[in-house]
Amino acid sequence: MSVIRSITAFAVLLNLLILTSTRHASADEPLLESDVLPILTKNCMGCHGGLRKQGKLDLRTIPAMLAGGESGPAIVSGDSSKSELWHRIESDEMPEGDDREKLSAKEKSAIKAWIDAGMPTVSAKQQNVDPLLPADKKHEPREVATAIDKHIERFLKSANLQPVAVCDDIEFLRRVYLDLTGRVPTAEQATQFLDNSTADKRTQLIDTLLATPEFGQQFGRTWRDWVCPPELPSDDNGGAQPHKQANEFGKWMGEKFAAGEPWDKITREILTVKGEIKSSPQVIFFGLVGKGGKTTPDGTAQAVASLFLGVQLQCARCHDDPYRDWSQQQHWAMSAFFGRSQGDFNKIEVGKGPSKKPGEIEIPNTAFVNSGTSVNATFLDGKEFKVEGNEDLRKPFVDWLVTKDNPFFARNFSNRVWFYLFSKGIIAPIDDTRKLNPPTHPGLMKLLAAEFAVSDYDVKHLFRSICNSQAYQRTSQMAPGTDEQMVYALTKSYARMPIRLMTADSLYDSLAMAFGDKLDLRTRSKDSVTGQAAPVADAYLEFHRRFGTNEEDAKDFTHGIAQMLTMINHPRLLEGSKSLDEYVKQNKEAKPEQVVEWLYLTTLSRRPSKEEIGEATNYIGETDDTNKAYTGVLWMLVNRSEYILVR
Amino acid sequence: MLKSDLTLKRRDWLRLASAGVLSGATVPWFESLANAAIKRPRGKSCILLWMDGGPSQQHTFDPKPNGEFKSTSTSVPGIQIVEQLPQLAQSMEDLAIVRSMSTEINGHYDAKYFLHTGYKRTTAFEHPSVGCIASSQVGLPDDDMPAFVTVDAGFDRPDGGRLYRSVPAYLGPDHAPLAVHDPAEGLENLTPNGDDLDARLKLLAASEQRFKQQYSLAAVGAKQAAFNRAVRLMRSKRSRAFKLEEEPDSLREQYGYHKFGQSCLLARRLIESGVSFVEVVHRGWDDHNGAAKPVAARAPWMDAGMATLIRDLKVRGMLDDTLVVWMGEFGRTPGNGNGHFCRAWSSVWAGGGINTGQVVGKTSDNGADVVDRLVSAPDFMATLCSALGMDIHKEFLAPGLRPVPLVEKTAKPITELLG
Repeated sequence: MSVIRSITAFAVLLNLLILTSTRHASADEPLLESDVLPILTKNCMGCHGGLRKQGKLDLRTIPAMLAGGESGPAIVSGDSSKSELWHRIESDEMPEGDDREKLSAKEKSAIKAWIDAGMPTVSAKQQNVDPLLPADKKHEPREVATAIDKHIERFLKSANLQPVAVCDDIEFLRRVYLDLTGRVPTAEQATQFLDNSTADKRTQLIDTLLATPEFGQQFGRTWRDWVCPPELPSDDNGGAQPHKQANEFGKWMGEKFAAGEPWDKITREILTVKGEIKSSPQVIFFGLVGKGGKTTPDGTAQAVASLFLGVQLQCARCHDDPYRDWSQQQHWAMSAFFGRSQGDFNKIEVGKGPSKKPGEIEIPNTAFVNSGTSVNATFLDGKEFKVEGNEDLRKPFVDWLVTKDNPFFARNFSNRVWFYLFSKGIIAPIDDTRKLNPPTHPGLMKLLAAEFAVSDYDVKHLFRSICNSQAYQRTSQMAPGTDEQMVYALTKSYARMPIRLMTADSLYDSLAMAFGDKLDLRTRSKDSVTGQAAPVADAYLEFHRRFGTNEEDAKDFTHGIAQMLTMINHPRLLEGSKSLDEYVKQNKEAKPEQVVEWLYLTTLSRRPSKEEIGEATNYIGETDDTNKAYTGVLWMLVNRSEYILVR
Repeated sequence: MLKSDLTLKRRDWLRLASAGVLSGATVPWFESLANAAIKRPRGKSCILLWMDGGPSQQHTFDPKPNGEFKSTSTSVPGIQIVEQLPQLAQSMEDLAIVRSMSTEINGHYDAKYFLHTGYKRTTAFEHPSVGCIASSQVGLPDDDMPAFVTVDAGFDRPDGGRLYRSVPAYLGPDHAPLAVHDPAEGLENLTPNGDDLDARLKLLAASEQRFKQQYSLAAVGAKQAAFNRAVRLMRSKRSRAFKLEEEPDSLREQYGYHKFGQSCLLARRLIESGVSFVEVVHRGWDDHNGAAKPVAARAPWMDAGMATLIRDLKVRGMLDDTLVVWMGEFGRTPGNGNGHFCRAWSSVWAGGGINTGQVVGKTSDNGADVVDRLVSAPDFMATLCSALGMDIHKEFLAPGLRPVPLVEKTAKPITELLG
């Protein structure tokens, strides 16, 4: 389940929109999404939103504002003096109550100016944006890449920003290996690429990596983590850790990605699965997103909304979403499609479930309001659905989901791939797509979604197109003294590549290459199984326990003292490396410089500088045992920022 | 330590120990730590003694005339607890018992979540646990020591439902707990391996410096800061707080050699060295076959560990600045304690400058209901956070643009405790 937990998500969004708004005609013109909504969300919507509609007033959308409440329309567009909302705010009557903070003069003037300007919105300005490529046919990846760059260039121009330079081969090599195969290259793979002087070697490498099974493995386990990370607390699975089955599910997805199967087909195979997990590993999806290890229609609906549609329905389970325009009715109307199939981690049976009649579901008594109300299955876009016969309603749901004019499906997937490669969605958070949370680059979003749909949901085509763009190949370097706001603006507008933290899987696989063995970091005795220390089944899970990250963590360094102590002092990291032993055995004549070079290539995917060779050989010279010294150099390399960060 | 030490009267012993007479001889550093207790610029620290699974109130701090356990008088006239806890009875002037906890949830995990966060679980997002909140609000910024440590005090039996793990959620990973899996072993990987760490660190430092020049970015700064904090902790004299073997045997014995007592001792050492919140978890209080027998078996070590902790803190002058709370996720059914019971149960408080020597709230004669001064889970949380000096009205921003106050708006701190 996608859990957006960054406290700064909101601030990020705001800044982005402010940045976006600089493109529009008048810089002083306040816009709803960037300037006004944040004020209303923070101060007003708690009482006048989806949860409570005091005075029958709902401020979540423009139509609702215009409709107003018991005191008539809240706003008269273009005239603040006739707007009830403005009078109440200006006089400090609202927010109500002596202990509530009133709006500041700045906030007040933004609202007034916005009303007087006729309630302009970012979304309206984005409506007829040009995707730059016609949506009628699949294009060459190069063409798509060029169009991607054009979109970004236009944005940068209007924001008056200069993009940074394209990255060097070392940065590109390491980045593209980690993104497309989930590990750093071997020393041989690194030299092969670095010493290749062909002009289009980057394009060639992208093609090569997309053709490996590792591409599937990496993107499959990424999806597994999006559904449910292996060790982070997975609140709703009853404490069970079916991580092995979850891994099988990730592998199953990976094989599909590697084989080039289209996303609509994979989606259908997940969402309409029935039977036993033995023959269909994807069965576990429903258990993972349910409660207590059992499937639930509402859990499924929320997960499908987040993962396949890119919208957040979780708040609407118990009441209308206080801040977004999603109703409790919509939540349960979608859940109704999943009311006649049920099971657990191991099986899914169709024809059973909480729905007494197919297509009808009752809001349970755990909801805050409307418990006991019966809701009929309806598609999220409002399209009606008629139950025919006693069939599995998941099928017509998927039919609606994957159809090419469904605006959610292709947009969600392409936004997720973009997020995966850039650590920020064009729509952010990635599962909060709605009218009043517009994309920063609307044309780009439109282009990617259209190209993905018209290519019949060709996953590799999408990756290939994006990875070939200049945007993907910009450097992440930043000189000291650069203004932090500038770094931020450049990153958020794709004028530079952010630096990211390796995922647990990437670190595990990359360390396994350097040490010639998967690292087993379990040190605790088996009988210490209480308190914060849950029993750990295997080395993989133990590694995830230590180095697991959340999807939103990528762009921040989220490891702390515990992880660093493991890297610094865990005995396994000083016990030596099988691959190093092997290298030394096969290169008996190798001088320390050569071994150091091999170690650099194996870990940092580059050759050491003269200075670095000097430092390392000095260290080796001062150590009595050469092999021990090599292990020390390896320790130093994997403890470097350059190692654990994807640059 | 000499055997004869054990013959000293407890109070005398503690006085001597605190003066460094006993311990100072063997571990000079320890003495300086004791004298130079870390100054807290803001708020107070807290030790949470978590009896996982739900301890029976009638077999501990809310005995009834017809109950399975006899009650005993305490050092405060009029207050009685079970006779199985003699040391705590003698420390009653330093304890406050809240007998009117009433917390709505009877399922283990949801109740653990509720009592650790002050909020009921929702499907929308996770709430930070109280230790993480304390780390963010009263933790010492940029300190050698971590702000929040959890200590695993072992278990009687693997019952009591799924373990609760403290998560910082929207407060950010800085406030995640550092876990000690065994008090006797201290913190995992704290001790350097290999004999040339200095040489390796030197080799690393040069390249880290260069990398920072090329990649002058927050993520690089954060990595290097975390790394440096780990090295600082390893190198800090104060990290010896994790090493129980530096305590005199006689004091370790006072605390009791059960893992719980040793965890209490570790908690004191950690607080003394600058940690702001320590949660000691002992698991297995889910006594579905009756509480009398298992609680009778646990009482000696619980009594010794908790009572010694409070005395030790007091002797060191730390009690006013350290809140100690004993509790589980709920109580047990009146009578034999077979079942979960959230309607009327007890928590025990000490230190932190609260008003002690009193009982707050009252249960009915049969123990089935609260008849006076009901305390909800949010009330409980508001009291704890207020006692630590936090602004309980502060708002955080949870995912989904949702502002979440530090404690629920309806929460009312227990004024009798806060004074």
